[in-house]
Amino acid sequence: MPSVSSVEEAAETLRAAGAAGRRVRIGDDLDAGGMQRILEHEAGDLTCTVESGIRVSSLNRALAEHGQRLSLDPPGDPTIGACLAASLSGPLRHRFGAPRDLVLGVTLVLADGTVANAGGKVVKNVAGYDLGKLVCGSRGRLAFIARVSLRLHPIPAASGTLVVESDDVAGAVAALQRSQLAPSALDVLHPGRVAVLFEGAKRAVASQLATARELVGGDESGAGVWAESRERQGAAQGRVRFAPGELDSALATLDEAVVRPAAGIAYVPRATVDDVPAAVLALQERVRERFDPQGVLA
Amino acid sequence: MTFSPTLAAELRHLLGADQVITEPDELRVYDCDGLTGWRAMPAAVVLPGTTEEVQAVVRVCAREGTPFVARGAGTGLSGGALPVADGIVVSLARMRAILEIDLDSQRIVVESGVTNLDVTRAVSGDGFFYAPDPSSQQVCTIGGNVAENSGGAHCLKNGFTVNHVTGLKVVLPDGELVELGGKALDPDGPDLLGAFIGSEGTLGIATEVTLRIVRKPEVVTTQLAAFRSIDDAGAAVSAIVSAGILPAAIEMMDRLTIDAAEQAFHPGYPDGAESVLLVELDGVDVQVEEDAAAVDRICRACGAFEIRVALDDAERALLWLGRKAAFPAMGRISPDYYVQDGVVPRTKLPEVLHRIGELSAEHGLRVGNVFHAGDGNLHPLVLYDASKGEAERAKELAEEILAACLEAGGALTGEHGIGVDKACSMPKMFSERDLATFERLRRAFDPDGLANPGKVLPTPRLCGEVPGPYRMHPLERIGVAERF
Repeated sequence: MPSVSSVEEAAETLRAAGAAGRRVRIGDDLDAGGMQRILEHEAGDLTCTVESGIRVSSLNRALAEHGQRLSLDPPGDPTIGACLAASLSGPLRHRFGAPRDLVLGVTLVLADGTVANAGGKVVKNVAGYDLGKLVCGSRGRLAFIARVSLRLHPIPAASGTLVVESDDVAGAVAALQRSQLAPSALDVLHPGRVAVLFEGAKRAVASQLATARELVGGDESGAGVWAESRERQGAAQGRVRFAPGELDSALATLDEAVVRPAAGIAYVPRATVDDVPAAVLALQERVRERFDPQGVLA
Repeated sequence: MTFSPTLAAELRHLLGADQVITEPDELRVYDCDGLTGWRAMPAAVVLPGTTEEVQAVVRVCAREGTPFVARGAGTGLSGGALPVADGIVVSLARMRAILEIDLDSQRIVVESGVTNLDVTRAVSGDGFFYAPDPSSQQVCTIGGNVAENSGGAHCLKNGFTVNHVTGLKVVLPDGELVELGGKALDPDGPDLLGAFIGSEGTLGIATEVTLRIVRKPEVVTTQLAAFRSIDDAGAAVSAIVSAGILPAAIEMMDRLTIDAAEQAFHPGYPDGAESVLLVELDGVDVQVEEDAAAVDRICRACGAFEIRVALDDAERALLWLGRKAAFPAMGRISPDYYVQDGVVPRTKLPEVLHRIGELSAEHGLRVGNVFHAGDGNLHPLVLYDASKGEAERAKELAEEILAACLEAGGALTGEHGIGVDKACSMPKMFSERDLATFERLRRAFDPDGLANPGKVLPTPRLCGEVPGPYRMHPLERIGVAERF
């Protein structure tokens, strides 16, 4: 089944599945393969609205012509819909956040074919419930995400990376975090390395690199370390969460991981179990039942 | 069910006699929030001191079918904390403990009655601050900020409350407790935390909040640029944003608000300014230095005839004086004023400001513009004199301004919330299907509709049966237009 090419087609597909008592797994049985257009990009507003089937790379290619980007760099090259549904992010999460921090509005298709909008296309908006955030991490169980409006950022004039090899990775991270440096990414490639990305004006990047080196040592490096980080994250089978201040003890329990220390997340090679409390699971289920009472979305 | 003496006795038993208010004279303090045109008398106000006490009260409400309204400092401007007549107001005013400061994690855990500014005060000695800064930050509470997803002048760069809350303890409308998120980010599953923040008290009561605290920037530079026309200032805003500069704040004032501020507080802004821009940059010093030079260049190219720069806190306070004084100053030049809150795409600012000027002339009422230009969040101040019967005209004008914002592809509210104030306007931005989908979320949390009923979503009782004229939602319009 089908890549759909319009909101209406997605609605029709879901309605038909519901009527036939068929279950639909979004991504497998229904995907937005035919919905890859950039519907609007108002460069002066630093916002865009896209169909959810567009991939991060093709969106960023188009935005680059205007000196802009979506500051989201998850491993692989997922669609925007997948980024939201699975809450995917990469090293840039450190400064720019997860999809939930970049989404301004959505058009959803509910399991019964209802097409609903929430949010808007402006960067500031508190009208109505923020369903654009709600569907982040919902893994296709609440609705089909059809269109997404996103906040964009300018492509920085320059960037520079520092890699620190250390026996005391947590100490290096703490020193960087307590400084007034403003890195765009800060990853631990456990065991033994910290990678820091600075972006901005050329002089500002150089000065931040110098300050960071004085603080924690290390060497300037190419962007290859970020490719490595994303690749290792992509190959990871599970996630472990920890209070960011407890990085040291978190690392002590792991042999190997890609860690976003400010977020308190470690991507680990082994599979992990979701650590959602029972009361939250119950609430999630109540929300799911309201959005999909027939249980069409698998 | 109506409130009875037995119920009052039960609440007193649960919370202690002096934490339950039922005397009409004392209740009157709670009959409205910052939107004073709407008032309603609750049956009781309760002041729980712990999460367990909030749960106990909410359980009683659930059992009795009594509606309840959570209240922080009551500074909201959309009537979000307006009581339900004969319902219960749950004041979080006693829950003011800072529970944990975890600098290593860059988190702070507070009870929801803690004021916004007290969060920053608790960590500023260590070089940190809490970023969202609504203008009521001295008194407004974190719980209220969570309910409204509060912004402030500096959210342009730093984001809103929702970008700074990492965990919540929430008492659901049936009295059960859920813990959403924590100190780590990206919990598994749908983002219930993100959906709760900004839900205006309709999904439950947050009692404990875990917040991100941020390291103070190395340098802060504030520039004030004076322009001969509001168009020039608007063009400068667009040019700054397009140049890839992300200031901490870009605020704009027009002639009317500058004059009012001068009369009242004498900030000494440049003579002959039709508009001033305040641009604040923060971050690492070299970057701020480069950006400040670029802002200076851009403003001059757009016609700025004077630019002042503040390099220390005292100078900065002087530049901000006029901006911060604008609202109170309006009270000196007009007996009454209504603060509108609408959003437009940044590139549409000049166009919409023109339209506001036309609407102002058509209605014969003055409108002052002082607002967060960087994110397109307008705060038109509609000046009127209720004693001359101008209130109705002012309301019409404010609504037409909002319609102009929506027409430009914007939003009903940027930071004040929907509350009761704009519940009946929701159909102008959202279709029936959109609203019905919102309702699904609300019912999932609150099947009996007891948490702050009558707010956010329009009800027949509040708005009549006929919804206002629906304008196509910006996302819908984009999708449709693309097909032709």
